Amino acid sequence: MPQALNDTYEELVQRAQELFWTKGYKGVTARELADYLNVSQSTIYNKYTKDMLFMDSLDYYTRTYSDPFLKQLRESTEGMESLREFFYKLIDALLDKTFPKSCLMVNTVVEMQNENKEIKVLYQRYFDTLVSSYKVVLDKAIGLQQIKYPEKKEAYAEFLLGVIFSLSILYKINGRSQLRTFIDEQLSFVV
Amino acid sequence: MRYKEYNVNSVLEKCIQLFWENGFRGCSVNDIVKATGVNRFSLYHEFENKEGILYNALRLYKLRYCEDKFMLLKREGPLEEALKQFYLSFLNDESPHQGCFFILIGTELADEDPEIKKLVKNYLEEIENLFAERLLQEERIMENAKLYARHLSGLFCTSMSFCLIQTEAQKQYHIANGIDLIINKKIVHAPST
Repeated sequence: MPQALNDTYEELVQRAQELFWTKGYKGVTARELADYLNVSQSTIYNKYTKDMLFMDSLDYYTRTYSDPFLKQLRESTEGMESLREFFYKLIDALLDKTFPKSCLMVNTVVEMQNENKEIKVLYQRYFDTLVSSYKVVLDKAIGLQQIKYPEKKEAYAEFLLGVIFSLSILYKINGRSQLRTFIDEQLSFVV
Repeated sequence: MRYKEYNVNSVLEKCIQLFWENGFRGCSVNDIVKATGVNRFSLYHEFENKEGILYNALRLYKLRYCEDKFMLLKREGPLEEALKQFYLSFLNDESPHQGCFFILIGTELADEDPEIKKLVKNYLEEIENLFAERLLQEERIMENAKLYARHLSGLFCTSMSFCLIQTEAQKQYHIANGIDLIINKKIVHAPST
């Protein structure tokens, strides 16, 4: 494929991702998608299908929003404090709409569940990165002697995996200080 | 023209299934007309608009599908077991859909629609209160009942989303692990910020 066309497709994915993030997969018709991307409906039916754009949107989301955020977390040095900061930043991103509608991956899990094999591969990659990032921070926290029962690391990482899911609902019904308290308390179950 | 109540409920029941499958935005009023066999005019007369159908569908869902599950928390027996059964009752439901309709709709709309926000908030508060009542019966944890109830309710949100893509064994582990970390560990108060 010529480079120019590649660029164009990447741009389409980027815009499609905005739409899927706020409206979900099922909430977007082929027509809306075509209008939003400024392409013909036949392009959506024949060339860049809704499914293809959606899968690539999830991948784009992971690379653009989630990966850098998690890289920062893995490179942090303060253990539990860094973890707290990470979740506080997430709360801010949700409330200030830097993340316009919770986490696209969480939304997709709820909306699509295990709809197809391809999506399961994307989940796997996403949650593997998440859990390994949490373990990196937990290791640092253990090194800093912030954790009383280091042997429970696996259990803690599993517990922390749940946080983005609960936050994704709770930020819609609670305010910033309540959410921060929720995080403080969640982390107190881990130390 | 008004429907008899059982008619309204059977219409709403079909709408619960329809919204569950396609999301609220993912179905048009036409789809609702097709699925329920009730014409647009009568639907609007009964429910005012598409949103009205959804609000009533949520209320019916709670009555029809949740009240029984709430009772699991009032049963005698070991606390951890009761909690686990409660969460799993939503995930291993005999109805065609797994999980919780409130969390599904909340994920789609609680940030956009104030009425949905209110319904989801009240629903989660009710669950939190049920947890608290149950926890207050246990001497070993009663002093932290409110705190634990708040986080068991958080675990409810997690289980109704994350667990949807997990295998049976993974679900059981995630839930048991969550319960264990929340209630079986002495609380260390988080530093004030």
